[in-house]
Amino acid sequence: MALSRTRRSLGSAVALTAASALLLAGCSSSAGSDSDAVTLEFWGWAPGLETAVETWNDANPDIQVEFFRMTGDDGAKIPPAIDAGTAPDAVQMSVHSLPGHIINNRLIDIGEYTDGLDESFTGSSWKGVEFGDGVYAIPQDSGPTGLMYRSDIFTQYNLAVPTTWDEYLETARALKAANPEVFIGQFSPNEIGLWTEQVWQNEGTFNTIDGDAWTVEVNNDQSQEVAAIWQTLVDEQLVKVVDMWTPEYWAEVNAGTIASINYAAWFPALLAENAADLSGKWSVAPSPTFAGSDAAGETGGSVDVVPTGTENVEQAVEFLTWLNSSDESLDILIKEGGLFPTALAGLDNPAMLTEQEFFGGQVINEVFIDAAKNVPSSWVDGPNYDITQDALKDEFAKVGTGAQTFAEALDAVQALTVTNLKDSGLSVK
Amino acid sequence: MTSPTLTAPPGAPAASPRRRGIRAGGGMRVAPYVFLAPFMLSFVVFMILPIVVALYTSFFQVKRSGLGFGGDNDSVFVGFDNYVQAFANSAFMDSFGRVLLFGVVQVPIMLALSLLLALLFDSAVVKAKRFFQLAVFLPYAVPSVVAALIWGFLYQPRVSPIVEGLADLGVSVDFLGPGTVLWSIANVAVWSVTGVNMIILFSALQTVPREMYEAARLDGASEFRMAMQIKLPMIYPALMLTTLFSIIGTLQLFNEPMTMRSVTSNISGSYTPNMAIFSATTLGGNINLGSAMAIILGLATFVLSIVVSIMTNRKKGKA
Repeated sequence: MALSRTRRSLGSAVALTAASALLLAGCSSSAGSDSDAVTLEFWGWAPGLETAVETWNDANPDIQVEFFRMTGDDGAKIPPAIDAGTAPDAVQMSVHSLPGHIINNRLIDIGEYTDGLDESFTGSSWKGVEFGDGVYAIPQDSGPTGLMYRSDIFTQYNLAVPTTWDEYLETARALKAANPEVFIGQFSPNEIGLWTEQVWQNEGTFNTIDGDAWTVEVNNDQSQEVAAIWQTLVDEQLVKVVDMWTPEYWAEVNAGTIASINYAAWFPALLAENAADLSGKWSVAPSPTFAGSDAAGETGGSVDVVPTGTENVEQAVEFLTWLNSSDESLDILIKEGGLFPTALAGLDNPAMLTEQEFFGGQVINEVFIDAAKNVPSSWVDGPNYDITQDALKDEFAKVGTGAQTFAEALDAVQALTVTNLKDSGLSVK
Repeated sequence: MTSPTLTAPPGAPAASPRRRGIRAGGGMRVAPYVFLAPFMLSFVVFMILPIVVALYTSFFQVKRSGLGFGGDNDSVFVGFDNYVQAFANSAFMDSFGRVLLFGVVQVPIMLALSLLLALLFDSAVVKAKRFFQLAVFLPYAVPSVVAALIWGFLYQPRVSPIVEGLADLGVSVDFLGPGTVLWSIANVAVWSVTGVNMIILFSALQTVPREMYEAARLDGASEFRMAMQIKLPMIYPALMLTTLFSIIGTLQLFNEPMTMRSVTSNISGSYTPNMAIFSATTLGGNINLGSAMAIILGLATFVLSIVVSIMTNRKKGKA
């Protein structure tokens, strides 16, 4: 019995192999007759990419795209795959990880195929993919900020929604006076996005490029101004100190002890998912601004790159350009995947303006679209962004326990980032 | 005690050389090597080779200049530069202090618990022995990541029945504070591995010849005295083995703190040596530095193991 079953499955396996070999032969022969046809492999995770790729394939028989959906740790496979020469032809990744890959020669400078394309994207998102004279990715999505707040709590305590960071502090104090159990926001040492968005809003950055050297700006003036605000919030106990994404965090949110959160356009969906019972009680307002500026914050989003080793660079860029800037594709990604695009055409897409039930029927993207157009083009990622971010977590943790101040934390991370860059053999000014 | 002289298993050592001698007559002794081959092959590929590669990598650095864009990124020999960098990395050095402190407290507590349980199970005191043995052993079957996740829940305010329960009694505890989180991790480790060490010690106890207990009882020794003066010395090698393994395990600490880092920021990215290596390699992308750090950790483990072995051998001589 067992033997015959094995033999049968073996037989079918052989048959299958033979069939697929025939199929492959068929493919290659047809490709041979069609002189320019190429097949691209594309890895990504944004919802809706399948449909977009299908649409592309139907219209472009000469450039066929095979899509692979990334999950879990798939992102970690990319660097070794590129180094081994087996990488896909196009990959979605975080914009912050670009320079780290560039210094390891993992990405192709696609500048020669992107003439004039910068006009199609928001200034800040294009700035994120340009390094020196090169262009290393096509921007895909982004995270401009807005202030999500509990409108019921603000009404209950007669609070106006703050429009500047000074007003934010006043509102925080008023709320604490009215109810010491409820905080205006949170300080989450483990969520550095909350920090970077505000530094970015204040036209700061972690790094800049100065000629042939990197600079490290972690503790520069713009960051210090944000640090001063955060220090006041922590010192006067105006914010709830709690690590984000933990069960404890969502318990606090659901218990109504956190009255607002200033975060990116991708956060509302997560909020709605994890605090479903609070549906209808939230609203979104523009992020409070710094004095004399109407700039909005940004957390950075994802981009699509062409890894080293790809043979059909031009075709890959052609596909990625279509994917991220054509009305046809943006329509799919916005409607089906809830993408927050970086392309200006995407921001103007009517599909963006849907009413959100969780936010009491508000068209929250009106706020985020305005923000996206007002994000400063100041931010430059450095080659060791991940190290800087992780160091900030560790140092902010010590601020959370009262062991040091934000200014001290920034100095520590500044020093560590400089050392790390130098250890990598890079010039630092 | 005179006991050690009595322990030689009867007959066994004499028998094996003779049997081997008969086999050797054929001259063909391929079979043992065939059976060994799968192990040796995987040992070389997955153990020796990585060590050699790590050692080799640790003496090189990727050569970059300026912004690092468009360079050749050639690896150049730099001697001990990576080791100098590793030793200059205060977070990495601190992590050694942290795991040593952890080991000094956690290993004795855990082994004392294991020993106590093994002795209890070996004595006539405990009823439903099988059930309790299984119960003590069971946590070992829980993967350490899962264990850390579950304990992470139990340590968190707002969601933990323990923290909330204590708060209702007027006791406020912070299991995840900067001063307490190390011991919260130690608790997870104790919970996980006490059972398996208990099993090792318990099995060792089973090899103690029963006649010795009889003799001791005839001499009027109490259960406690028998435990201290017969059982303990007899299972001394097993105790040392578990100590050694526990110390190595301490230095290798990774899963529990790494997992629990997702619920508290009071565990830093370089909390243990292995986490520091992970951070240098994965986040920092510096495989050369990571290799040097890994070699340092390996050497430290090796040295510590030897020190422990020497110390225990000396003690044994005295006893």
